[in-house]
Amino acid sequence: MNKLFNGRRFLLIGMLLMLALVAACSSDGDAGDGEADGDATETSSTPSTDANGEISGDLEIQYFVGGYGDSWWKEVIADFKEAYPDVNVIEHAGPNINDEMRSRWISNDPPDVVYIDGAGSSETQMVEDGQLMDLTEWVEGIELEGGDKLVDSFIVQPGKFDGQIYSLPLVFDTWGTWYDRALFEENGYEVPTDFESFISSMEEIKAGENIDPLVTSGQHPYYFLRGMLYPAFSAAGGEELLADLITGAEGAWTSDTTLEVMKKVERLQQEGMFDSGLGALNHTQSQMNFLLHENAFIPVGFWLPNEMANDIPEGFDFGFIPSPMQDPGEPFAIVPDLRPLAIAENAENPDAAKAFVEFAFTREYAMSFSEHTGAIMNITEVDLTENENVPSYLTEANAMINDPEQVQIYEKPHPMSADLETPIGNALMSLMLGNMTAEEFVEEAEKAAADYRN
Amino acid sequence: MVQSKKQKYTFLAFCLVPTFLMFAVFTLYPLFSGLYFSFFDWSGSSQNKEFIGFGNYIKLFHDAVIPNTIIHDYFLVVTKVIGIMILALFFAVALTQLKIKEAPFYRIVFFFPNIMSVVVIGILWTFIYNPSMGLINSGLEFIGLENWTRPWLGSETWALPSLVLPSIWAGIGLFMLMLMGGISNVSKSYYEAAEMDGANQWQQFWKVTLPLVWPQIKISILYIVITTLNGSFVIVQVMTAGGPNNSTHVMGSYLYQQAFVQYNFGYGATIGVMILVLSLITVLLLQFLMRRDKVEY
Repeated sequence: MNKLFNGRRFLLIGMLLMLALVAACSSDGDAGDGEADGDATETSSTPSTDANGEISGDLEIQYFVGGYGDSWWKEVIADFKEAYPDVNVIEHAGPNINDEMRSRWISNDPPDVVYIDGAGSSETQMVEDGQLMDLTEWVEGIELEGGDKLVDSFIVQPGKFDGQIYSLPLVFDTWGTWYDRALFEENGYEVPTDFESFISSMEEIKAGENIDPLVTSGQHPYYFLRGMLYPAFSAAGGEELLADLITGAEGAWTSDTTLEVMKKVERLQQEGMFDSGLGALNHTQSQMNFLLHENAFIPVGFWLPNEMANDIPEGFDFGFIPSPMQDPGEPFAIVPDLRPLAIAENAENPDAAKAFVEFAFTREYAMSFSEHTGAIMNITEVDLTENENVPSYLTEANAMINDPEQVQIYEKPHPMSADLETPIGNALMSLMLGNMTAEEFVEEAEKAAADYRN
Repeated sequence: MVQSKKQKYTFLAFCLVPTFLMFAVFTLYPLFSGLYFSFFDWSGSSQNKEFIGFGNYIKLFHDAVIPNTIIHDYFLVVTKVIGIMILALFFAVALTQLKIKEAPFYRIVFFFPNIMSVVVIGILWTFIYNPSMGLINSGLEFIGLENWTRPWLGSETWALPSLVLPSIWAGIGLFMLMLMGGISNVSKSYYEAAEMDGANQWQQFWKVTLPLVWPQIKISILYIVITTLNGSFVIVQVMTAGGPNNSTHVMGSYLYQQAFVQYNFGYGATIGVMILVLSLITVLLLQFLMRRDKVEY
């Protein structure tokens, strides 16, 4: 008994226990990276170029896996490994990768390349925090496979912060309004061409199907803001108004043009067009409701068919139009939502990072991106019409987007800050639920913009 | 066999030091770093942070959402304490005093939600509240109360009250078991004596059971209050994410939104400090209000 209580032994055991616990609790920041390679914990600072000037060493790539899946990334990375055999690519990928990698960014040990998309990521915040490399000069020298300069081949130019480029827009997504073409053809419903025909189409559907025709995710009010209101503001007031609203310029939210647009939303609510339960719907529930014909229209991005591929009912045929919020006689408006690729300011292997970014931006990969994801890469002159692997809604949408008589493209200066988007989204939800008038909404939004400016 | 003083202290150190170190690393360190970060303007995503003194605290007092989050939290505290205590006490008394043959079965059934993750409970109840396919609206329609159907979680008025039901449902089992333990410790002779004195079941409950299980009731209430103030975040985040229009935001979910959605980590830390202060005040106040001499017969 006496031996059992030998002090030194206890102390030793105690120390060992502590050590084991501390070791077990310590995190290397890479745990649970989903699809990431097994050796993702290696972060040795190997040289980026070897003695012959060849690119080598570890290259860490962080990419969010959402509605577009990861098959395109796998293909590009595999090809990159073949082209650069001395580079050891370490992938950090998954639906929660932005949160999982946060500690790496905080501790100034970021991955080399980052694809900015999904919850928990914000390009604006990353630029404000000085986390992204200034690519302004470097991008001028990049050429596509045909010799065209990359900067001249973007569908939408990179966003600029104080005139500098910190990221290159990889994915050209655009929010628009989806419907089931099969349902519309079967029952002779009108595909909307402007706001008035949108209303009349929804009236027909309400009567014919006995459903609330329009749904969106109430848990994420910015879906409606980006999907319906940005095009509506652009159609009504052009890029200038859109920029003023996004930056929270004084008087922009209370302007007559903004109020007119918000009156349209009020009308949608008063005429019972919104799903009565949308206030609680999350991303997936709202999309599921749409697929189950609980509703007829949903404003979301190009990710919808790919993301819901396993739940699409038989006979469902995706149709896509830019959100029809413009007045009759006006062309549709779309506001591209770009998902950029960037290089970390503190990348350990910037040469390999630049090589990878340059490698990914080709017309060949733009074509394969559409095949893999059903969405468009932000590169011009990619002919999707002849490719059987590209879904029909995408080729049609692509043709429509490229016809200026039908669709006008409006660019936003940069994404709206979450500090402004959140309070405006909350007030918007209240308006959509009928608890606020359009006039009250614009006052609330103006107040939120004033808070944001301060 | 007598231990020397040194051996005794070594053994005590063996038991206490690791626990204290763990407590220091996982409780005290986060507590003080939370307090530290509340004085900074920091996005929580980079190394850049700016010391702003009491800037976040001034913002806290001017934030129009904060008073609502506090009200929502205490609404949940009050409704949960009342709901859980009444039902847990009722079931505990029923299962111990009424000589029900299937008592062990019911004990398992009532405890079942406690072994489920709160996230699972939240998702389950989101389906139950679904306006078109959910059990509640379908049930109301079935019994002819169509007018009562509504988009429970999608309504600014009804969303918060709708969170009470799953919270109570998830909490009954644990406190029922605690109270059952207390009740079974009450000697049968007290009830026999009470019966001989002509006390009915109701009087026995009020005069014998309740005073003797008061310590368990007190601990249960404190536990519900603390877990609600610190943990109602989960059910809110899963079921409504604080919406619609902030109508269900509690302090914890608003902290999460500020820190991780709006990238105001410093301000989030300030909200964390507020939760700590309010929880401490509430618990101290409750300790004072519920003080009562121990009853012994």
